[in-house]
Amino acid sequence: MNAIQLKRQSWNLAIILLALVLGIWRTSQLPQFGAYEARTFVLGILPIALLSMGQAIIIIGGGINLAIGAEAVLINCLSARYMQGTTFTESVVLAIVFILVGMLIGALTGWIIAVSGIADIVVTLATSFLLVGVAMYVMPQPGGGVNQQFADLVSGKVPNFIPPLIWLILPIILIWLPLYRSKLGISMYAIGSSKEAAFLSGVNVKLTKIKLYAIGGLFAGLSGLVLTGITLSSSPFANISNTATLNSVAGAVLGGVALSGGVGGLVGPALAALILFFIPTILLAYGIDPAYSQIITGALTIFVVLFGGLLRKRTAGTK
Amino acid sequence: MSGQSLLLKIESLEKSYGPVLALKNANFEVLAGEIHALLGANGAGKSTLVKILTGVISGNSGSISLNGKLVNFSSPDDARKNGIAPVFQDPALIPDLSIQRNLALTGTDEKRFMTELSAMGLTVDLNEVAVNIELPLLRMIDLARALSHDPELLILDEITAALPVDLAEKVISIMNSQKNKGKSVIFISHRLAEIEEICDRATVLRDGINVDTFTASHGSEERIVAAMLGDKNKVSNKLSYSKKIDTSNPLFLEAKSISAGKYLKDLSFQIRKGEVLGVAALEGQGQDLLFEILAGESKLETGEIFVNNKKVTLNHPRDAISMGISYVPGDRKSALMPQRSIRENLALTRFRGFSQWGMINTKSEENQVEDAISSLQIDTRAKSQVKRLSGGNQQKVTIGRWVTTGFDLLLCFDPTRGIDVGTKQQIYELIRKFADQGKSVLLFTSELREIQMVCDRAIVIYEGKVQADLSIELCSEENLMNAAHGILVTK
Repeated sequence: MNAIQLKRQSWNLAIILLALVLGIWRTSQLPQFGAYEARTFVLGILPIALLSMGQAIIIIGGGINLAIGAEAVLINCLSARYMQGTTFTESVVLAIVFILVGMLIGALTGWIIAVSGIADIVVTLATSFLLVGVAMYVMPQPGGGVNQQFADLVSGKVPNFIPPLIWLILPIILIWLPLYRSKLGISMYAIGSSKEAAFLSGVNVKLTKIKLYAIGGLFAGLSGLVLTGITLSSSPFANISNTATLNSVAGAVLGGVALSGGVGGLVGPALAALILFFIPTILLAYGIDPAYSQIITGALTIFVVLFGGLLRKRTAGTK
Repeated sequence: MSGQSLLLKIESLEKSYGPVLALKNANFEVLAGEIHALLGANGAGKSTLVKILTGVISGNSGSISLNGKLVNFSSPDDARKNGIAPVFQDPALIPDLSIQRNLALTGTDEKRFMTELSAMGLTVDLNEVAVNIELPLLRMIDLARALSHDPELLILDEITAALPVDLAEKVISIMNSQKNKGKSVIFISHRLAEIEEICDRATVLRDGINVDTFTASHGSEERIVAAMLGDKNKVSNKLSYSKKIDTSNPLFLEAKSISAGKYLKDLSFQIRKGEVLGVAALEGQGQDLLFEILAGESKLETGEIFVNNKKVTLNHPRDAISMGISYVPGDRKSALMPQRSIRENLALTRFRGFSQWGMINTKSEENQVEDAISSLQIDTRAKSQVKRLSGGNQQKVTIGRWVTTGFDLLLCFDPTRGIDVGTKQQIYELIRKFADQGKSVLLFTSELREIQMVCDRAIVIYEGKVQADLSIELCSEENLMNAAHGILVTK
């Protein structure tokens, strides 16, 4: 690893360090740390980590998806309704269908943005209302269920923490790494960094945008399914989707993705979800009001954005 | 030109942006193995023609044929596949991607690219991110990338502008070697001397129509300028505006052995009231830092600056402005508010300081702005948004805002870069007018001949020091060039 690559990885290293420190802090609060506790950690972050990864891909490509939480909630509701009372095989087939639905929703969102030329933030704000509305139609009240074997496939039988860990790592290996190396991956960074230069370099800007939103939708679908697998139910509420969306943005930003686009990766956001999970749980263990943990999470996000901005300014100044 | 086959033929191309006709009836031909200059004042339609030719936009009507075959490029990628490779003034590399990934994006062979780059005597770390690379090198990288695709037709749009002399020479030798291989080059430049020297033919556009095509040779300059400006704008034949400065004029500013950054080391100079002092230097000699220091944007490390014989510290642009020092930066875009009107841009500098929280006196503002617009001859057809003005008119607005406020020393950093000949002359005249009013102007220019035309005296910076301090008689391009390369000027 040469100096340039090391510099580029420095953000990830810092995030790993912070996650490690918080992780040790949290485990020291527990009477014991074993497979059961590890499973709690992984289940605690899995839905939001997946959502942050999907958001990260869209932000790297120069967009932002405010409907990503709503996409996850919709898939959560769909799966909890239609997977109730099914066999394992049926559940798996339905899961694949719902992931495809997530991709389709993402692709449609991207298509609207690409064709209309309306800002991402406006289109996705509108689609977020729309999707939550559909979710409430699918599941008017919290409830639903899922095949137990399918739930075990997602979250593992207590205290087996390996399945959720696999679901966290597998998307990085199967989706992110090939994407990063592909032409689509380079195009993603290109349109996020400079749309004009990307166009001049021969990138199909609109198609790339649609594809990235589709991949974002894939992650949202995974997130929604995982949520069903963990909670064995669903809730169609807007406050859940809004919090999820905001957390996905916080996770992406904390994970080293620049909101201006063109910079970042997926490992950072996955780890950032861990940090966002540890802060409130650590404070809660001290008996501190959860509201304070919100303040700290918020302050940390501002600090990180500020610090990241200053860091980039400095490196740009010393070129 | 007999024996050479026709590579490109553009016939009655038309393109309008809303009600504005950018190209009316453009005809243009390029032969195989020819270096063809495409010329025209700002707004003549050059960039529109290039954009259509490279698939960035498409024309409304007209035809383009390549090797006798009718083509219609749908995207830059499409044009590239058909053998047309453009290199623009602003390199089309993705800022946040490494060079390696930039190459992958355009399907460029890495080995071939490195061969092309090392043929230019340059090298780069492929892992380096484009944003960290200096502009001149980045342009050469873009050029090497274009060459890696073996283009039939290379389009070089203003790439020698603000390029250091050694790199500009490399670009020229690349053009010649393309020509020797039987490939063609379209060369767009405002440096007329370059065109005379290297181009086979030149085509001049004016108001979206090709007005003249001729074989380029020494002495073409007058014909080019006449064709660019047309009959309505006869240029004054007066080539030099310089005058010998009265050495009894009091000093306005004196810099004593200032050092800063990597480049400036022990640099000293003086500028008198009513004097236009030229600054010449190759790229990267610290001239930009010098201007920023005088403008209060950067700090000096050691040394002293005196204004009106009093020692001053310039920690903030506010300090410089209050001393009467105004800065016109090289990058027009950074100085202007692109989406606001000419009026607001011109008036902006009047509202500095903290004492003016009250209402803006629009009446007096309007009067001053009107004065500035008329004295600068700004084309006000697109006055509601500065970003819609041509480059030359934008530059006039950046200078004009200081006219409305008043100043004693104007720092002009490469003010005529990428500006057409007619507008250049208006800017020269403006600078002279300031000097006649007893104001001082410090002018850095990357076009050495300008120094002879507008300045009263010139300093040449080399390795952070003043290598030569030349009175106007000694400011020949040759002398300036020698001094800029660190050679002592004897005569």
